[in-house]
Parts: sequence; C-alpha cells; structure tokens
Amino acid sequence: MRVGIEANQRAEARATLAPLRLCVFTLKCLPLFVLLLFTSCASTPTHRVPLTGDILVDGPKMIAEGPPRDRVLWQYRSASAAMRRGQFDVAKPLLEDALLTLGGVYGKDAEARKARGLFNKEARKTFIGEPYERSMAYFYRGVLYWRDGELDNARACFRSAEFEDSDAENKEYAGDWVLPDYLDGLATTKLAGDGSDAFKRAKAVAKNINLPDYNPQANVLFILEYGPGPEKYGGGQYDEMLRFRTRGSPVLSAQIKTGSINLPVAPCDDLNFQATTRGGRVMDHVLANKAVFKGTTDAIGDVGIIGGAILANGGHRRNSSADEIGAGLIIAGLISKGFSAATTPEADIRTWDNLPQFISFAALKMSPGEHVVTVEFNDASGSANSKLTKTITVNVPADRDKVVFVSDSSTTPQTQ
Amino acid sequence: MKINILKLTFALTTAALVAGCASKGVKNPSGVPVTQMRADEQGFVAGTGVESQDLVAVTDKMSRSIMGISQIANATTAPIIVLDPVENKTRFPINKDIFLTRIRGELNKKSLGKVTFLARDRMAALEKERNLKREGAVTATADPVKQEFKGADYFLTGTLEGLSTRTTAGTSDYILYAFQLIDARTSAIVWEDNAEIKKQGLEDAAYR
Repeated sequence: MRVGIEANQRAEARATLAPLRLCVFTLKCLPLFVLLLFTSCASTPTHRVPLTGDILVDGPKMIAEGPPRDRVLWQYRSASAAMRRGQFDVAKPLLEDALLTLGGVYGKDAEARKARGLFNKEARKTFIGEPYERSMAYFYRGVLYWRDGELDNARACFRSAEFEDSDAENKEYAGDWVLPDYLDGLATTKLAGDGSDAFKRAKAVAKNINLPDYNPQANVLFILEYGPGPEKYGGGQYDEMLRFRTRGSPVLSAQIKTGSINLPVAPCDDLNFQATTRGGRVMDHVLANKAVFKGTTDAIGDVGIIGGAILANGGHRRNSSADEIGAGLIIAGLISKGFSAATTPEADIRTWDNLPQFISFAALKMSPGEHVVTVEFNDASGSANSKLTKTITVNVPADRDKVVFVSDSSTTPQTQ
Repeated sequence: MKINILKLTFALTTAALVAGCASKGVKNPSGVPVTQMRADEQGFVAGTGVESQDLVAVTDKMSRSIMGISQIANATTAPIIVLDPVENKTRFPINKDIFLTRIRGELNKKSLGKVTFLARDRMAALEKERNLKREGAVTATADPVKQEFKGADYFLTGTLEGLSTRTTAGTSDYILYAFQLIDARTSAIVWEDNAEIKKQGLEDAAYR
C-alpha cells in the first residue's frame, strides 16, 4: 500500500515536471534548428582573399579570386585608384569590363532573384552600384575616351552617365548632373555640332555654378575631383533601409596654376547630393516586406514560446491536453523564431568607397609642348592645403585635346 | 501520446525548415560551355546597346543598298571610295570603325571589283614604304617618284543617333543607323540609307 502511494506521488511529480521537461527538450533542439537553418541555406562558396590595403594590389586579386558578385565593385575601386596614380591604361579595361556588366543586367538574373528572397541578403546580387556610382563609372570612362581623342565615345559615356541618373523618384533630381551634360555639349561643339542644348541643360541644373561658355579653342581640359564621397549604411530596425552618410569635405575648391595662369575652379557636381536625392528604390519595398516578415515571425515566435510555456505550466493533471498544446506552441514559436532569424532584410551597403565628393573641370588654351601645372586644393577659407598640392607635367599634343585628371588623392608629381 | 505529438511536430518542423530554406541550387554551377553563335543572332547575353546582330543586319542592308545605285552599278570604271569614320551620337560607346569595315568587306566581296576602296587608315605605313622606294632602300616595280596614291571619288560615312528613355517600366533605346555616300568633288550626297533598331529591357527589381 505504501509502495503504491509512493508510485502515485512519483507519477504526479513527473506529470507536474512534464512541461518543464518539454521546455528543456525544445531548448535542446534549438541548436539543431539553428544548424539546420544555416546548413540548408548555405550554397555559395566563400572567397577568402587576404587584403594588403593597397587598392591596386587588392583590387586585381579580388577581381580574379574574390566573389564574382563583387567583381564590378573592385573594378570600380581599382579604376579610380589607377587614374589617381596616372595609370590610365590600367583603368580603361577595368571600366570597360564593369560597364559591360552594367549594360547587360536586363531580364532574369538568378542571383538578383535570390537577393529578393526572404532568406538571402540583398548583397548577394551582382554589384553594379547605385545610380550615382554607375554615373561615375561612365563619367570616368568618358574622361578616358576624351584622353584618347575619341570625343564621340566620350560624349556617349557622358550621356549614359546622365541616363543612369534618370530614374530618380523625384523627377526634379532626374538626370541632374552638371558636368556630364556640360562635357556632352563641349564634345558636340568640338565635333562641329550644336552643343547648345546640352549646355542649356547643364546651366539649368547648375544653379549657383557659373558655367563658362564653350571655347572650342581650349585644348587642355582639367578634370578635378576632391573630398570624400558618400558612404552607405543600413537604417531601420533591421538595417533594411539604404542610407547614405555624407562627410564634410575639407576641400571646397581648387586652383590651377601654370605660367601666368592662376585659375580658380569651383565644384560642378556633388556626389553627396546625387546619392541622397535618388529617392526610394523598388528594392526598398522588397526589403521593407522582408523586415515586416522578420518582425512578424519574431513576434509570433515570442507569443508562441511564452504562451506555450504558460499553457504547459498551467496543466496540473497527467496527460493534460494543455501540456501538449503548450509544447506545440513552444515548438511553433521556435520555428517562427527560426524563420525570423533566417530572414535577411539588410540593404546592400557595398560602396564604391574611393569616390570623391566633388567633381569639377576647367578648360584652357595652352601651346603644344611640356607645361608644369600646379593644382592646389583649398579649404573653406580659400587657403591651399599644401599637403594636397599636386604637380603635374602636362605634355600638350599639337593635334588633339589634352585631358588632365587630378584628384586631391592623386600621386604627385605626375606626368600626363 | 505526448511523445508521438512531439515526434510529429519535430519532423514537420525539420521538413518546413529544410523546404523553406533549401535553395534550388546554384544555377549553372559548372558554368556554361563556350557556345558558338552566329553573329546575326541574339545570344543569351544581351543589352539594349549595339550588338553583333545589329551590326550584321545594318551593314548587310547598307551594302545591298549601295550596290544598287547607278553610280556604282553603271560605272564604267570602278569608283574609288574612302571610308570616313562614323560619328557616334548615341549613349553607347562603341567601336565605330566596325560598321564601315563590314560594309567595305561586304562590298568588296559582292561587287566583284565594281568599287575600289582606299586604305587611308594605312597611309603612314604606305608613305614610309614609298619613301624607302624613293630613297632606293628597297626595290620598286614602278617609278617611285610618280605620285600614285589615288584620290577619292566618294566618301562613305555615317552617323549613329539614339533616343533613350528610362522609366520604372524599363529602359528603351532606339538607334538610327544612317549612312551616306558623298561625292568628293561636289559634296553631293549621292546615296543615303538608314536602319532603325529599338530595344527595350527591364532589369530585375533588385537593381531598381
């Protein structure tokens, strides 16, 4: 009799502890769920390439051995770095290849489709950049075409640079780059065409910038760039909103000095402005939906786990159906949590991080032959920062335009 | 009973997780082997710019069209033509020479000597060779002092002009390929023809 009472007490104790054991069991299963989530979703190989910090060493390595989705990003970065070192022949094929990718993104793309999926990051897609980055790729290529004397192809690039910016949400900011339009008109004028339309467009968006009339006799074109460009970061609860961080430029203007010439050069285009005026993307809606899904499944998970635990704890009889429902709710909650954890609404924040803030230009008439040119970069007070001053030996040809490209991060001295 | 429910729930959970997350696999994991295609067909890699099928279609049309004009069809002596580079007014940077090179090739192939093209793009090498002959550094089969470089009867040239639109519905590019044969003596345009190609495309929403 005593034995029977003890057995009943043990059975009651077991029944009372049953929900607790269920919770322990489900918690034990948690690592398995996590493992399942990660193993079943992983399908892309990892590319580990040791980086040195020298973009012209890292860039080619990443292009060759890095993830194919980042290829264009590294081509962009390497090209602009090469141009600042005066290695224009290195920059040319990099931009050429990047623009081929950029021009062929139409239609179905398996990686882009996956990037829209709930459980894949946006950064999974092949990088081609935001419109301001694509515009800059075309702009740089245009500069290189002009250097080679191919004015019509340069003009084509400037037109594409404007075109890439033509889908802004607020049409006020669509195709509102100044320099590409201005150079489009200048190229047309030099090709004996009528560049007045492009000039008018450039003037219309130039606002306070005083654009000089075209001088077809000006045979030396200076393309200047300075200041740090925009950076991307993720905003919102889950970093699902693409945002741009703008950094104030210590350089606000430049000065070109050669012989008796002392020419101040104001900025024409501000990349911070271009990056932040694009407006919403279609992809933002996709990411917002992902974020809602993530938040909802997370909340459902919380409700399931907490509700299940309360329900299971509340059942005091053996084989209580409340225990079973409670356990089921806990597991459902964990599943929902798992889905929430696996959902990746993060915006793609891969950035062409060595772009300038400002691009500008000046055109001069110079005699054929060698000229030593000094380019100073000035702060807000108009004082030159001597650490940024560049000395460029310019060889002006007799038969075509000379394009001189100088950045505040260019190597100095240089011969172009 | 409780264990059975747990087993069932666990199995369903695992299935749901695996099914939910399982990627359908990497597309073309082994790559795509090199596929030889005809130059006049659209491949599986396409944009809205100038492509080989456009080049073939346009230059075929132009070479057929030129062959039919009286200045060439009825000429007693083969007219001499010089290629003047095409001007690209589109938004696509392209190798412009390729158009005239193919038209020249087609005309030379099909006209059976009814036209003669001058290799003006090789003048530097030709002048160097002539000077060597004049200096007696190399042999000559004719009097090297005599000016034998020919002048042009006609210039064959053209322009590529474009109209581009981009909206949320996609990108549209229209290109007008216009070619002219210009009388070098009178500047009269003795022949002109054109071809139009319009392409539209929309990128994946991930890029918009």
